[in-house]
Amino acid sequence: MPGMRSGLNLDNPVLAAAFRSALLHQGLAALLIFGVLALLWVSVREWRPATMAAGSPGGPAGADTARRVLLGRLARGAGGSDPEPSWRMLLRIGFGIIWIFDGLLQAQPAMVVGLPSQVIQPGAASSPAWVQHLVNWAGTSWSYHPVQAAAAAVWIQVGIGCWLLAARRGRWSRLAGLVSVGWGLIVWVFGEAFGGIFAPGLTWLFGAPGAVLFYCAAGGLIALPERYWRAPWLGRAVLAVIGLFFAGMAVLQAWPGRGFWQGSPRDGQGTLTGMVQSMAQTPQPHLLASWVRGFGSFTSVHGFAVNLFAVVALALIGIALLIGAADPAGPPRLASRPRLILLVVIAAVLLCLADWVLIEDLGIFGGLGTDPNSMIPMALIIVAGYLALTQAPARIGVIKAGARLAAEAAASSGSAVAAGAGVALAAEAAAAGPGDAEPAGSGDAEPADRQPTAPARGRPGRLSPGRLAGAFEAADARTVLAAWALGVTLIGAFPLAAAASNRSADPIIAQAIDGSAAALNSPAPGFSLTDQDGRPVSLAGLRGKVVLMTFLDPVCTSDCPVIAQEFREADQLLGANRRNVELVAIAANPIYHTAVYTRAFDQQERLSGLPNWKYLSGPLPELRRVWHDYYVAVQVIPAGGMILHSDVAYVIDAAGRTRTVLSFDPGPATAASQSSFATELSDAAIKAMGSS
Amino acid sequence: MMVRHRATARAPSAASADPAPAARAAHAGSPRATLFAAALVGLVGGMLAAGCGSTVASSGAPAAARAPIPPSLSTSLTVSGGGSWALVDMGGSRARYENFWQLIARPAATARWALATPPGVADNGGLVAAPLGGPALVIGVNPSQDLTFSPLATTRDSGAHWTPGLLPAGLASVPSALAGGPGGKLLALTNRGLAEMSAPGGTGWARLASLASLAATPAGRSCGLKSLTAAAFSPSGVPLLAGQCGSPGVSGIFSYAGGSWHQAGPALPAALAHRRVSVLRLTTAAGRTVALLTAAAPDGTASLTAAWAGAGGRWALSAALPLGGARILSTATGPASAAGVVLSTGRAETIADATAHWQQLPALPAHAAALVLGPGLQISVLAASGGILASWRLTARAGARPVAWTRTQVMKVPVPYGSSS
Repeated sequence: MPGMRSGLNLDNPVLAAAFRSALLHQGLAALLIFGVLALLWVSVREWRPATMAAGSPGGPAGADTARRVLLGRLARGAGGSDPEPSWRMLLRIGFGIIWIFDGLLQAQPAMVVGLPSQVIQPGAASSPAWVQHLVNWAGTSWSYHPVQAAAAAVWIQVGIGCWLLAARRGRWSRLAGLVSVGWGLIVWVFGEAFGGIFAPGLTWLFGAPGAVLFYCAAGGLIALPERYWRAPWLGRAVLAVIGLFFAGMAVLQAWPGRGFWQGSPRDGQGTLTGMVQSMAQTPQPHLLASWVRGFGSFTSVHGFAVNLFAVVALALIGIALLIGAADPAGPPRLASRPRLILLVVIAAVLLCLADWVLIEDLGIFGGLGTDPNSMIPMALIIVAGYLALTQAPARIGVIKAGARLAAEAAASSGSAVAAGAGVALAAEAAAAGPGDAEPAGSGDAEPADRQPTAPARGRPGRLSPGRLAGAFEAADARTVLAAWALGVTLIGAFPLAAAASNRSADPIIAQAIDGSAAALNSPAPGFSLTDQDGRPVSLAGLRGKVVLMTFLDPVCTSDCPVIAQEFREADQLLGANRRNVELVAIAANPIYHTAVYTRAFDQQERLSGLPNWKYLSGPLPELRRVWHDYYVAVQVIPAGGMILHSDVAYVIDAAGRTRTVLSFDPGPATAASQSSFATELSDAAIKAMGSS
Repeated sequence: MMVRHRATARAPSAASADPAPAARAAHAGSPRATLFAAALVGLVGGMLAAGCGSTVASSGAPAAARAPIPPSLSTSLTVSGGGSWALVDMGGSRARYENFWQLIARPAATARWALATPPGVADNGGLVAAPLGGPALVIGVNPSQDLTFSPLATTRDSGAHWTPGLLPAGLASVPSALAGGPGGKLLALTNRGLAEMSAPGGTGWARLASLASLAATPAGRSCGLKSLTAAAFSPSGVPLLAGQCGSPGVSGIFSYAGGSWHQAGPALPAALAHRRVSVLRLTTAAGRTVALLTAAAPDGTASLTAAWAGAGGRWALSAALPLGGARILSTATGPASAAGVVLSTGRAETIADATAHWQQLPALPAHAAALVLGPGLQISVLAASGGILASWRLTARAGARPVAWTRTQVMKVPVPYGSSS
C-alpha cells in the first residue's frame, strides 16, 4: 500500500515534540471549554433563580412555579421514572473507560509515525485489493498529517469515553452511543480493515471480527430508546447473537486446512503457534512474556489439543447461549435456569480472559498498542446480555427521590404545603411512566412548558437566548460534563476532517527529515548559464520573480528525480502564484552536464512542458563557480558510484536576495515526504513574495 | 427489589414485570427480534463464508509460472591489439542497490588488470560494452531506480579517459545490447523492444526497427520472433539484429539491407531442428561475427552452440554443448574468434573455432565471475567477492595440458556502498 509510509523513524524527535505540543494545546483548549461551560452554567443558575423566588408558594402563580421546579428537580434527582438498568450502566461505564483508555494509548509517541505503517498496513496486507485501497486512503491521510491525525484520535476517543460516562440517560446519552458507533465503524473499516474478515486466517482467537465492532455493538445498545431498556427480548436477543457468533466461530475454528489443527508441521509453524510466538516478541513485562512464550511452546507441541479445546469451548458456549436465550416463554421459565445461563456466561468470560492474556497478549504493549483487543469488550457485552436477560424494572427509586426532594423543599420554604406538594408530585411522576418525561438531567433542552422560569420569547420551539438560558439553568452537572465531552470530541474531529480533505502533506514531515529552514537576507550570488533549450539565463534576468533553485544531477538515479517532482508539485500548489515564480535547477555533474542530458532528464521527469522550469548548464568552469558560490559540494565517486552532491534548495526573492535555504535531501522519498517537501517549498515561496 | 405495577391504559409498559404484559410485550417485540436475529444470522453467515473461504496459503500450492531468468551481463572480450575487457558485478545486494558493475581492463601488452569503470553515473543496473576497434570501447549504462535513459561513455585509450554520450532510452538488459559500427555509428537495443541507430559520433539517434515491425517481416515470421536479444554490425558494416525464435529449428539473426530485413543466421543442423533457438551473444571483431546460440528442447533441456561468420556471411557451427540444466553466468569472446562460457555448475567451457570441440576447463576458483580469453590461448578467470577482485590464470606444466589456476593479481575495488540509496 504505497501511501502509508512516511519513511520516518518511530521515535523521530521532531514529530514527537510536535505531537506533545499539539496534545498540550488541545488539552488547554479542552480545559478552556470546560471552564467556559462551567462558568456559564454557574452564572445562569445564580442569575435565573431570582425569578423563581418572585412567586410565593402560597399564591397560584407561585404554586405553579414551585410545581414546575419540583417536577424538574424531581426528575433530575430521581434520574427519570426508571433507574438506568444495570446492563446499560455496565456497558456505558465499561466502554466509557475503555474508550478513554484507548485514547490514552493513542497518545503514545510512536503512534504518530507508526500507526499506518506498523499497525494498519500489516493488518490489511492479506485483505483483498479493494479493502487495501480503502485502508490505504485512510493510512495515507494519516501519513500526510501525522501529528494532527494522531492528536485527533486521542481527543475523539477520550471525548467519547467521557461523554458515555457523563451522560447517563436521555438524548445526550443516546447520542454518545451513536457517536461511539460512528467512530467505531470508521476505525473498523479504515483502521482494522473490516476486522480482517476478508483476509485468510480469520479466527475468534485472534480477535475476529475486530475489537472495535464490539464497541459499535455496545454503542448501539446504549443508543436504544428507554422504552427498550426493560424489554424482555433484549437480553435474549443479545445472548442469542453472541451464541450464534460463538457457534459460528467454533465452525470456523474447526475448519480443516487453515493451519490451526497443527502445532508445528514439518514445513513451519502452525497458524496459532506462529501468532502466539510473534506476540511474545513484543516488548512487555517479563512475566507476561514468559506466559505467552510458554503457551506458544505448548501449542507448538499440542496444537491439536489446543484447537480442539477452543472448538469445543466455543461450540458449547454458543449452543448453551442459544438454547438459554431462545426460551420464548419469558421470565418464569428462565427463572428456573438462571444458574445455567450464569455458568455459561462465567465460562465465556473466563475463556475470553484466557485468550486475552495468552494469545492476544493484552494488546497494549510495544508502543503501538491501540486498544486492549477484543476479549474485554466481548466479555462486557456477554455480561450485559445476561444482566439484561435476568433483571426487572425497579421504580421504587422515583418515590424515594420524590420524598427526599419534598423534604428539601419543606426545609427551604418552611412550608408544609410545599412538602405535601412534593410527595404528590413524586407519585404523579412515578405514575406517568417512561417516555412521558425526558428529564432535564439527561441533557435535553426541555420543552417550553417545562422551563421552570424562562419567559417565552418569540415563537414556541424557536431557539432563543431565553430558551438557551433556560436549558442551561435546567441542566445538571452531568449535562454540562456531557456537553464538555462533546466539545473534546470535536477538538479531535474537526482537525481530522480538515486533514483528511487536505491533499498536501504537512511540512512537519520535511522538517523531521531535514530540519527547519534557515532564514537569510543576503544578496544571492549571480550566475550566467544556459537553459535546456540553449537560451542564456542569468539571475539578474530573473529579477521581479521569486526563484526556487536547486542543484540536480541529470543522470542521477535516486534523489534528483524525487527533488524534481517535489519542485513540480510545489509549482502546482502555488496555483495562480506560479506566474511570479521561476523554478531553476543547475546541473550538478562535472561529466554529464550539458543540455543534451538536462533535456533527457526533463523528458524523464515530465518537466519539458512546465513553462517556468529552467534546467541550467554551461561550461564546467562556470558551473564550478556557481557550485562554489552556493556552497554545493560536487564529488565524483569511482567504481560505479553516483555523483555526490548537496541536496539543497534556495528561495530567492524578487529583489535577488536569498531568503531561505532548505536542506532538501528527500530522505525516504515516500509519497508523504515528497508532498511535505513540496508544501514546505511553496510556503517558502509565498513567504518570499510577501517579503519582497 | 421488584415492584409490580399494572400497566396503565395511557402508556402500556414494555418494561413491566407483570407476566401478562411481559408476554404481550414479548410477542409484540418478537417479530422485531426475529428480524434482527435473522439479519445478524445473515451477517454472521456471511462472515463465516468469508472466513471459511479463505485458507492459509499452503506451502504446497502450485507455484506460478516462473519468469525466465534474464541473461547475465557479465561478459568479457579480447580484441586483437586492443587488450581485454571484462564486466563484473561486484559489491552487495542487488535488491538494495549495493551492487556496482565494474569494467576491468587489461591493455594490450600488459599483464595487469586495472579498474576502468567510467565515472559519473551509478551503474547498479549493469554495463554493456561494445568494441570500437583497437583500444577503443563504448560502454552503455543500464538504467536503474529512477533513471530511465542510458548514459554512454567512450574511451579510446583503454579506459584512461572517457567521453560522455547519451542514448535517450534505456538499454536492454542483454550482453549484446550495444554495438559499434563503421564511422562511429552505434546500434542499440532498448528495454522497450526497439533498435536505435546513431549517426557517426554516437549522436542523432533514430529508430531502425522494433520487435513488432521485425516480427512482421517474412524473415521474422519464419522465425516466430518473440524478443530482440542482440545487436551487432556485420564485418561489412551492415546492421544485424538477433532474437529469440518461437519456431523451432530457426536461428533468429537478421540483417538490414536495401531497406528491409532478411534472414541472416546459420541454417541449423538436424540436432537442433526441434529446438527453439535464442541468440545469447552477437559480436563482430577482426572481420568475423561470433554468435552464441542457446537451444531449448521441448523437454526443457538446453544446449549451447557457437557460430562464426565471415564477411561473406557463411556460417560455421560448433557442436552443441549440453548445458545439463546449468545457467550461463558469463560469456567470453577472444581473439581469433574463440568463445567461452562460465556455467553455474562451477565449470567453464571454451571453443577455439568451428573445427574444434568444446574444452572443459579445470574447476574454477571460488567466486569466478568472468572468463577472459586472452591472446595466445591465455585463459584467465576473474573472481569477485564483495570488493575484492582476483585474477587467476590457467597455467600448465611444460608440454602438458592446462591443469591448474594460479592467482596472478588481487585488486581492492572501492565499491561505493550506500551511494545509490
